Amino acid sequence: MRLPGTRYQEHGWEQVRKLLGQCSLQAFARIDPAPLLEPGAAPGTLPAYVDLAAEALHAAGRSARAAAPGNSYGDSVLELALTLVYELQARPGEWLAFCSALAAEHGRLGAFWHKPGGEALLRKKFNDMYAVLRDQVDSDNYQAACGRPCSANRMYAYRMLDTAYGEIARLFAGWREHAAQVGAILGRPIEAEPIEARQLRSISDCRPEWVLRWSESLERFGGSAGPLHTRSKRFASLKGNAGKIGAMLREIGEYEQLSANRDQDWLLDAGEATLWLDDYWRVLGESMEAATPGPDQILEQIEEELDRADTHERDEPARECENTDAAQAEAGLAQAVSLPPRFLELARAAQDAGSWTAHVLAGDSLPVRLAVYLKLLGAADDSYPADWLDPATGALPTMQQLAALDQMSLPTLRKRRDAALSRLAAAPRP
Amino acid sequence: VKENELKTTSLDRKLQEKLLLARRVEGDRLQLADAVLVAALDGSRPLTAVERAALEASPLTVRRLRHLAIERRAARGASNDAGWVGSAGMLRAADSGGGPDQLTTDDGCWSLHFVGRDGDWRVILQLAAGAPFAPRLMQEQPLLRVVDGHGAVVLQGRLDADGECEAAWPFASAPAVHFQQAGAAFAVAPLRP
Repeated sequence: MRLPGTRYQEHGWEQVRKLLGQCSLQAFARIDPAPLLEPGAAPGTLPAYVDLAAEALHAAGRSARAAAPGNSYGDSVLELALTLVYELQARPGEWLAFCSALAAEHGRLGAFWHKPGGEALLRKKFNDMYAVLRDQVDSDNYQAACGRPCSANRMYAYRMLDTAYGEIARLFAGWREHAAQVGAILGRPIEAEPIEARQLRSISDCRPEWVLRWSESLERFGGSAGPLHTRSKRFASLKGNAGKIGAMLREIGEYEQLSANRDQDWLLDAGEATLWLDDYWRVLGESMEAATPGPDQILEQIEEELDRADTHERDEPARECENTDAAQAEAGLAQAVSLPPRFLELARAAQDAGSWTAHVLAGDSLPVRLAVYLKLLGAADDSYPADWLDPATGALPTMQQLAALDQMSLPTLRKRRDAALSRLAAAPRP
Repeated sequence: VKENELKTTSLDRKLQEKLLLARRVEGDRLQLADAVLVAALDGSRPLTAVERAALEASPLTVRRLRHLAIERRAARGASNDAGWVGSAGMLRAADSGGGPDQLTTDDGCWSLHFVGRDGDWRVILQLAAGAPFAPRLMQEQPLLRVVDGHGAVVLQGRLDADGECEAAWPFASAPAVHFQQAGAAFAVAPLRP
């Protein structure tokens, strides 16, 4: 399924999910699980997980799975997975939900991840977290792309309808073998090939009452209860609402047709990609200089039942908390830095001292500054001077290397890096 | 470049963009209608103070503004060739050996030539006669700027009647060495008034 702005709704998601599961297990193996199980300590474990998972993803970057396309916009499975990991960092509520699910399971089974089959259970917990996260990310993407309100639950509902259409099309195509079920969907007994089966060419041709009847009769034909006929409140507002279902089916169909003609939304040159920043600052500046006196035109919160019916528990935003895990620090320091002896000196000379970033971060050490770039732009970027890169990898040094360079522990480096990020976010532009 | 004059490099801009786009706010939603954002982008109705605060506090609304701003620029670019906002090029792998005496932008519309020898280089920017925006640039003679991959100015000036602009090479190291150290890339763009 494709909708405006969305990235995680096509078949490639399966591979993204698997890659995230695999790399999350690797990250988990390198984290002390004890703080994850304590509500007070759980928020502080997120940065370590994000860094370790991102590292594992980069390490898996050459595999066939990671390099495969994850959607029809040309994003690879690796890119999609990495984006989601970084997104998690900005949405600590999801991590806390994961930690509390972990703690609940631990309460029942103990350290289940060490037991037979425990790995699968742990992977499922990660899968659940990312399943919610991808719909949150895509509902935001959708809103940014088309200006209409959306929610994670609405995104899930779009996908449910898309799947329903796929099922109905499959049954129609095999109407001989599925005559009774097709009859239940169409609401009449089937004796000859139904004309609807020939007419159903895309999701736009799918009638909402078919979806309702398909869901209603699903249990009778050997499946479980249909998505519109379970006890869950998720799709309560769609139950019996053919008008709304029809509108959503049409929207998917229209965009599918539109996007089939235009695979890439924008291909921006490096120089053009950030031009919108000028527009943004101009809009703020013009408002500062000569604000319209009013009245204010702030959008009302338009929230339909479908958007409210988010079954997901949202926790309080996480607070930064002290993480002084000495063992982890030593592990970080113990790793060989294996950079050229003059790395710091050359890297310092290579940075543009007159630049805005260098000015704002003048009080920070070089490793802290590189950690900022690592976090925001990733390990490899065309704009990095060659002297910033580890010759062995062609990328920025890892967080472990940077921590060792600065003779501080990994958690301390993370803290300094995050403090530097806050200063950058608050700094005035030149 | 003056010692204490602050400049914004392309790396700065990337970072600034990332800072704006990576921010998330719990329970964020679209705060301003498209009509309000478009009017603010057009300059026809600046935001009220409250709207401005709402925009700055809502990363999602900033992302919507980004989308509209890019659409607006794309529409302007499509409507006439005046939409040329710059061309970029890269050092080719083959250039690394003997050193380039010529670099060309990816769109083929501009080339940079280097003449001279150690310590006394000159750089010449040349507009291809076949460039779609050539007639307009030749007529309007905008101030052009060439920057290296790190955003440092290589050359700045206006085209002469031959569609060329020449200046002394401003860096200590030779062109080939300099470009390799400065991101192996360069870009030509009109200087905004």
